[in-house]
Amino acid sequence: MQIKLSINGQKKNVEINPGDTLLKAIRRLGLTGTKEGCGEGECGACTVLLEGLPINSCLYLAFNAQGKDILTIEGLKGKNGLHPIQQAFVEEGAIQCGYCTPGMVLISKALIDRNPHPTEEEIRNSLSGNLCRCTGYVKIVNAVKRVAEGGKRNEK
Amino acid sequence: MKNESRVIGRKVSRIDATEKVTGSFKYPSDLTMPGLLHAVVLRSPHGHAKIEEIESSAAESLEGVIKVFTAKDVSQELFGEIVKDTPIFAREKVRYYGEPVACVLADSEDVARNAIKKIKVKYKTLPEVFDPSEAMKEEAPLIHDNYPGNIAVEKKAERGDVEKAFAECAVIEKDTFTLPYVHQVPLEPNGCIAFVDERGQLNLYTPNQSPAWLRSRLAELFNLDLFQVRVIQIQGGGGFGGKCPLTIEQICVALALDIKRPVRLVNNREEDFYATWGRVPMKIELELGADKSGKLLAKRSRVIADNGAYSNIAPGVLSTALTRIDSLYRLKNVENIGWLVYTNKIPTGMFRGFGNPQITFTVETLIDRLAARLNIDPGEMRKRNAPCAGDVSVHGWNLKSCGLTECIAICMEESNWNWKGPGKMEKGKKVYRGQGLACCIHVAGNRGVYPSFDGSAAEVRIGPDGGVKVLSGEGEIGCGANTTFAQIAAEILGVEMERIQVPEVDSCYSPFGLGAYASRVTAIGGNAVKNAAENALEQLKEEAACLMGLNKEKIIYEEGRFKSGDKTLTFEEVCREGCYSKGGTTIVGKGTYIPQDVTIADKETLYGNISPSYSFGAQLVDLEIDVETGKVKILDFLAVQDLGRVLNPLGAEGQLEGGVIMGIGYALSEELVLGEKGEVINPRYRDYKIPLAIDSPQVRVKFVETNDPVGPFGAKSVGEPALVPTAPAIANAIFNAVGIKVNSLPITPEKMKMELQKKIRELEEKE
Repeated sequence: MQIKLSINGQKKNVEINPGDTLLKAIRRLGLTGTKEGCGEGECGACTVLLEGLPINSCLYLAFNAQGKDILTIEGLKGKNGLHPIQQAFVEEGAIQCGYCTPGMVLISKALIDRNPHPTEEEIRNSLSGNLCRCTGYVKIVNAVKRVAEGGKRNEK
Repeated sequence: MKNESRVIGRKVSRIDATEKVTGSFKYPSDLTMPGLLHAVVLRSPHGHAKIEEIESSAAESLEGVIKVFTAKDVSQELFGEIVKDTPIFAREKVRYYGEPVACVLADSEDVARNAIKKIKVKYKTLPEVFDPSEAMKEEAPLIHDNYPGNIAVEKKAERGDVEKAFAECAVIEKDTFTLPYVHQVPLEPNGCIAFVDERGQLNLYTPNQSPAWLRSRLAELFNLDLFQVRVIQIQGGGGFGGKCPLTIEQICVALALDIKRPVRLVNNREEDFYATWGRVPMKIELELGADKSGKLLAKRSRVIADNGAYSNIAPGVLSTALTRIDSLYRLKNVENIGWLVYTNKIPTGMFRGFGNPQITFTVETLIDRLAARLNIDPGEMRKRNAPCAGDVSVHGWNLKSCGLTECIAICMEESNWNWKGPGKMEKGKKVYRGQGLACCIHVAGNRGVYPSFDGSAAEVRIGPDGGVKVLSGEGEIGCGANTTFAQIAAEILGVEMERIQVPEVDSCYSPFGLGAYASRVTAIGGNAVKNAAENALEQLKEEAACLMGLNKEKIIYEEGRFKSGDKTLTFEEVCREGCYSKGGTTIVGKGTYIPQDVTIADKETLYGNISPSYSFGAQLVDLEIDVETGKVKILDFLAVQDLGRVLNPLGAEGQLEGGVIMGIGYALSEELVLGEKGEVINPRYRDYKIPLAIDSPQVRVKFVETNDPVGPFGAKSVGEPALVPTAPAIANAIFNAVGIKVNSLPITPEKMKMELQKKIRELEEKE
C-alpha cells in the first residue's frame, strides 16, 4: 500500500506493507541517517521527532505517522549550516563511531526545545534511552550543556 | 621543528564529524546495490548434536527464495586464526547453540527470515559441556575428536626462580577469580556485502577491522589468488575487537561466489550476540608475594580460558593473559601456565584489551590485599614496584618510555586520596565510601598475528589542485585514526586540515597495513603516514628548487610557502607547476614503518619484545555502597594515561572516557548469561546491561606525556588500555569501603548485597 508522510517539511509517497515500522519507511526513502541498532526500542539509534516529540521509529507503525510532522536527522541542518546542537557535537568531540549520533542529536533537541537550560542530571536522564558504546557519554553531555549555556565556546 | 605543534596536540574535530552529525555518513548496513540478495543464517538450537538430516525444499519453494545453502554447498576448508577448526556451516554435528547450519538467500530479508523457519533439521543431541574445568576431565564429552581433554592450546611463561622467591616473601596472597563472558555490543551489528564481478574478482564491503588480514584469510579459505580479492572497508558503527576475526564474511562470500549476484548479510541485534564473539571468560588462580617493603617478588598463575566451541583468536588472548601484567612492575620471578579449553559455548574472541583486563583484575586486586597486610599505602606500593624508561622486563619487553609512577602520583594528588586499609562494617551504617586505585600496561602494536610482516606503509598523494590524499591500509573503525593521519600529514606539510582527505581502505589502491587491533594504528600506521608526508615534502622542495632554478638545499619551507631569498612560491603553485611540468603526474610521497627490535614472542616461552612501545595507566575511583540495595555508585573517577603524546585531545580524551565507562560495565553490570543449551538468555539491550548516561559518571581524564622515542611525535596507545584498570580499581574501592574481597565480575547489586549480608551476619555473630 502507498501512504503519504510529511518528513522534514516535505510530502513523500512511500510504498509499505501494513505492518512496516516508520523506521523501515524512512530508510526506504533513502533517509538512512535514522539507524537501526536493535529494532526493539532499546537503543534509541532510530530516534526521530514526531510533532516535535522523540519516538523510537522502530516501534511506531508507518501507517500511524500519516498526517504528522516527522523530523529526521537529515532535516535538522538549516540553510545557514549546522543546527547549534550539531555544531556542539562536532566541536566537543561528542562523536566517535557516530552510529548513535543522529538519535543523540535529536533527543537532545527535544530536550532543549522543552527545557532550554537543563541541569546535568536532566540531560543524563533525557539521554538514557539512547545508548552509546564509544564515548562514555562525557562529551555528549558536554555538547548538550554547551548549547544549554548559550553556545559558549570550549576554550583550551 | 619550528611549527611542530601547529596541528598536533590541538583540539581537532573529526574529519568525518559533519557527515556523521547530519546523518549522511553511510555505514555498512546503509549500503545497497541493484540486484542485491539478502542472506539470513539458520543457527543451531542445540549446544551439541549430530545433524542427521536437513530438509530445505519447503523453504526453497517459497516465493522470493533463491537458494538454501548448507555445508555441502560451500568450501570444505576449515578456518581459524591460529588453530584451524571452524567450518563455514556445521558439518555432521553442531558444537554450540547458534552455530550456522544453513543459510537462505532471498529477494528480501523478510522473505529470508520467514524461509529459515521452514527448514527442517533433524538433530540427535549429544552430551554437552559448558564449564571449562569440567571439559578438561577425562569423562567429559569430546567436542573435537582430535583435541583430547578438549584442550585446544596449553601455554607456559616461566622466568626466574619462583619457588625460591616465594620462600623469601614476607606476605603471600592467593585466590581464585572468575571473569565473565562479556560482549562488545557495538551499536551497529556486524554486516557486509559481497559480489563477484564480470572478471571473476571477488568484492567485499565490510567494516572489518583488519581488511588486509581478512583478505588473506578469505583468499586462503576459498582458494583464490590474493589479487582476485578486493576488500573495501566501510567504517562501521563500533568494533571493539568484535569485527576483527572472521565471523560472518565467510558466509556472505561463499554465497556470492556461488550465486554470482551481490549478497548482503547483516546481523540483527540478537544474531550479533551469536555471530560476534566476545571476551574470553577465564578462571584464574593467582598467587602473589612481596617482601616487607612491599616489593613484589613472585607470581604464580594458572589460567583456564574458555575457548567456546571453536578456536578463534583465543590462543593469542591466552598468551596475553599469561604474560602482559608481568611487565607492569619490576617482577623477576613468574610461573604462568594456561589452558585454552573447548566448551559447547559460542566461540570467544577479540575484545578491547585482549586478555589484559582479565589478568589485570586478579593481580591488581591481590596487590591491595598485600598492601593491607603490610600496612603500606597501595599507591605507594605500586610506585615502589613501577618500572622506569630503559628497563627490560621479565619477558624481555624493552620499555623505551614509562610514565607509570607519574600516573599513580597524579591519581593520588588529584583525588583526595586517603587510604586507611580495608574498610570495616559497622552495625546500622547504611552507606559506605571507598577509594580504589589500579594500574595497567599495554602494547602499542603487538607483533604476532600476521607473521610475515607487521609494519605499515602509507602514501601521501598531492595533485596539481594542491589537494592532499593520505592513503593507509590501517583503516578507521570509529576511533579517529583517519583524523589522526590527516593531522600528521597537515603538520608535516604545513597545510590546513581542510586540504586533506583520507579515503577508505580499498585493497585496490591502499598500501599495506594490518588495521585496528593490538593498539597499533597510531603507533605504527601513524609513523608510516609521517614518513610518507616527509617524503612528499622533500619532493615538493625539489620541485620548488627546480622552478626557482636553485639547489634544493637553498629552499626553506614555512607557513605554506617555499622561500629562498626574496623568491617565494606558494604550496599551490609548487603542486600545480610541479605536477604539470612532469606531464600532470601526481606527487606521491611514500613511507613505511617497520618496528625495530620487535619480535614475535617465542612460542615455547612467550619471551620477546613484542611491541615498539608500551603505554601505562592508573585509575582511581571514589564510590559509595548502599547496604540496603547493594548498589555501587561511582562518585568520582579519574583516569590518567601515559600515552606518550596527545596528538588530539578530543580524540584521546574520548578514547579514555569511553574506555572507562566500558570498564565500569565490565565491573558492575555486563554479563552474557547462557541457558542450559548454551543459548543466550539476555541477547538484548534491556537485559545485557551496558552503562546508560544516567549510570555513568563524568569521568575526569589526564595525560602523562612521556614522548616515546619511537612513536609518531612521541605517541603510544590509549584506546585499549583505557578499560584495563577500571574493574580492579572498583573492586579495590569496595575492599577499601567494606573489606569485601571481590573475586568475580560483574559486581551486580544482587551479588554485592549477598556479600554485605554475609559480613553483617559475621558482625552479629561476633557480638
